Amino acid sequence: MNQDSTRYIGRVGQTFVYLGKLFRMFLFQSDWKVLPMSAIIAALVSFAVGGNIFKTMEGTLMGAFALSCVCVWNGFFNSIQVIVRERAIIKREHRAGMHISSYVASHMIYQAVLCVLQSVITICVCMFMGMKMPQGSLVTPFPLVDFGLTLFFITYCADMLALLISCIAKTTTAAMTIMPFLLIVELLFSGSFFSLPEDVMPLTNLTSTKWGLTAICSQGEYNSLPMVSVWNSALKMKDMEVDGEKPLLDTFIYLEENNYRDELLEKSGELNQNPEFDFDTGIVVKCWLWLLGWTVVYVIISVIILEFIDRDKR
Amino acid sequence: MTTEMTQKLISLSAQQIYSLFTYLFSSIGFVFLFKKCGVKKRWAFIPMAREYHLGLCADKEKDGRGYCIMVGLLFVLEILAELFENHTRIYLFLSIPIIGLFVTIMVYLMRIYLGLIKVFERKKLWIIAFLLLEPYTVLLWGLNPKFVPSKKIEDLSEVTGAKEIGKKLITEEEGLTVNIQKRSVIDFFKRKILLKDIHLHIPKGHMVLLLGGSGAGKTTFINAVTGYEKADATITLDDKDIYADYDKMKHDIGFVPQQDLVRGNDTVMMTISDAALMRLSKYASSMEKENRIARMLDQFGLESVKYNLVDKLSGGQRKRLSIALEFISDPTLFILDEPDSGLDGVMARRLFESLREIADGGKIVVVITHTPDRVIDLFDDVIVLAKDASRTGRLAWYGPVDEAYEFFGKSSMEEILLSVNQKDEGGEGRADEFVEKYADRVKEKVG
Repeated sequence: MNQDSTRYIGRVGQTFVYLGKLFRMFLFQSDWKVLPMSAIIAALVSFAVGGNIFKTMEGTLMGAFALSCVCVWNGFFNSIQVIVRERAIIKREHRAGMHISSYVASHMIYQAVLCVLQSVITICVCMFMGMKMPQGSLVTPFPLVDFGLTLFFITYCADMLALLISCIAKTTTAAMTIMPFLLIVELLFSGSFFSLPEDVMPLTNLTSTKWGLTAICSQGEYNSLPMVSVWNSALKMKDMEVDGEKPLLDTFIYLEENNYRDELLEKSGELNQNPEFDFDTGIVVKCWLWLLGWTVVYVIISVIILEFIDRDKR
Repeated sequence: MTTEMTQKLISLSAQQIYSLFTYLFSSIGFVFLFKKCGVKKRWAFIPMAREYHLGLCADKEKDGRGYCIMVGLLFVLEILAELFENHTRIYLFLSIPIIGLFVTIMVYLMRIYLGLIKVFERKKLWIIAFLLLEPYTVLLWGLNPKFVPSKKIEDLSEVTGAKEIGKKLITEEEGLTVNIQKRSVIDFFKRKILLKDIHLHIPKGHMVLLLGGSGAGKTTFINAVTGYEKADATITLDDKDIYADYDKMKHDIGFVPQQDLVRGNDTVMMTISDAALMRLSKYASSMEKENRIARMLDQFGLESVKYNLVDKLSGGQRKRLSIALEFISDPTLFILDEPDSGLDGVMARRLFESLREIADGGKIVVVITHTPDRVIDLFDDVIVLAKDASRTGRLAWYGPVDEAYEFFGKSSMEEILLSVNQKDEGGEGRADEFVEKYADRVKEKVG
């Protein structure tokens, strides 16, 4: 069978060969474990911060941050080791005619499926735990689909970043060492949760948490929610005495008796609105595009880096 | 304001002048130190190259590379920090990796100077002097004749290797014709010639043993022959130029690596099926592919384990699977790197017998093995590669196994290998003698 007709399976065909391999490995290897793991993390987060998400400004910001972190964590764990653990095999197969672009494309498709499943699981678990979901839709007619897409884009972006690290690292130990460092950067530079100096703010554009957090806050109608932190802080000082009297306590009693509390909380929220979190289709789409943009960048760099795999020492 | 700026400028330039003076001062010390260690003096003045060569002097080549790269990165960051001096936050941001690099450099420096102290057979306490008063200590070690290194770096650039055949072989219509003039790489400030002057022709149906000591260029030779790493060479397989038609010929050349690089979490059947999809012509029918898969399973004794996970296979079975993956495309040239590693004598014998069958089917089989004598009767020819005086891989022999014994005056392949290995590797160090003897023999034959 000497092959004079030297035409072999193309890039698309190779992508499907590797895709089949990845789905088989999902069953045979422990890759499926990322699904129950995402359910456990979602349950923990909704238990810890789910009470006030989409109910108050503070709760929404904290919850959005926590959900973004869950997505980043899921994404990182999905793919941080997938390439580095079989680096030597990839080198052999590249030598034998495997296209790197096909190999990475198969991972992209496979990871996309994992990320969709994880996003669905996260939403289901959060709903099961009684967490309030966004009520208004912006891009699609269904608020839950909008919310799910945001979770998917955050997870997928983080997933592709981890895939890139997996391409760069030479050993699984090195990849696992870089991962927490990146996680800290993702958390610290999320933009809205921690107050950062103005000079550093451009760096927040690099993180998927920033765009994820912004999209979630926007979808959760952050700017129309009440703010409770001022009320709670003042309440702590209710017993403060001035000239033998307790003016703050008297004020609180007056406000409660006349049902002014909610009005005051809403007013407090109104005065602390953040235009970045407006309930606006443009903002959500912009966040999605940023997340997709970074995803594409990570994939391109991954392919370029893997093309040099032949230079690996024996 | 003007006076302030002038003062600042004066103080800056004084600082810069001091840095330059220190650099030059230590460079002078390094000139003498490098001379003692057998390194070219000019490297003492070139940043980064100096750091790498200091590593060589200390017999810490790997650390020298790391040190050199770290110093290069530090230069880049320092330039950036200088540019953004007025942007406090950026300056502070840059200072974080600078501090990190500085610590790394100190660690490398300590390792290298400890290595240097060992090479000069001095007390370890000298490390304090090196770290605190580097320029003066280096100058002292360079100038004082009492400081002598126990080993010097061999400068191979001036060494002439064994004489060459220099004649290209005429491409034969059938078989593999190899004409490698040179294979060189640039590696950290020096050009290394890995292989030189290798000319041979392997007819179809031959099973050839590739023999050579560590660093003799076996892998480089294989990579050059398969077109994986192109050399200054012409390689033809059945009058087709491998380099020119590499993409088309990729699957007509099979290479089995030493390690069994196969995914353990897939079944044998699926692994072979995927290999068939990837390596057989896209025009091959499903029936043809299935037949080929069945033949591979049968030929390599994998039929009974075809539904098993690769992880569950024995060492021998896994090795056979690794070979089957390459042989599925029915390559004309089949190269195996230590296929018997990890196999016992009986298993290895069986494996080589199956390779002999492949060769008998009209293929060219080239095998690297470190235990050739137990299966030497199965080989037709042997290629002996050896490092000559300039540490370049050269052809010391290519021809029938029996004639090889006569040529080297030895009775086993292991003895032949010992005769061409360098003395510091426990060999006889006769590589140049045999390379030249072989060159004369070829010239005599070719005329």
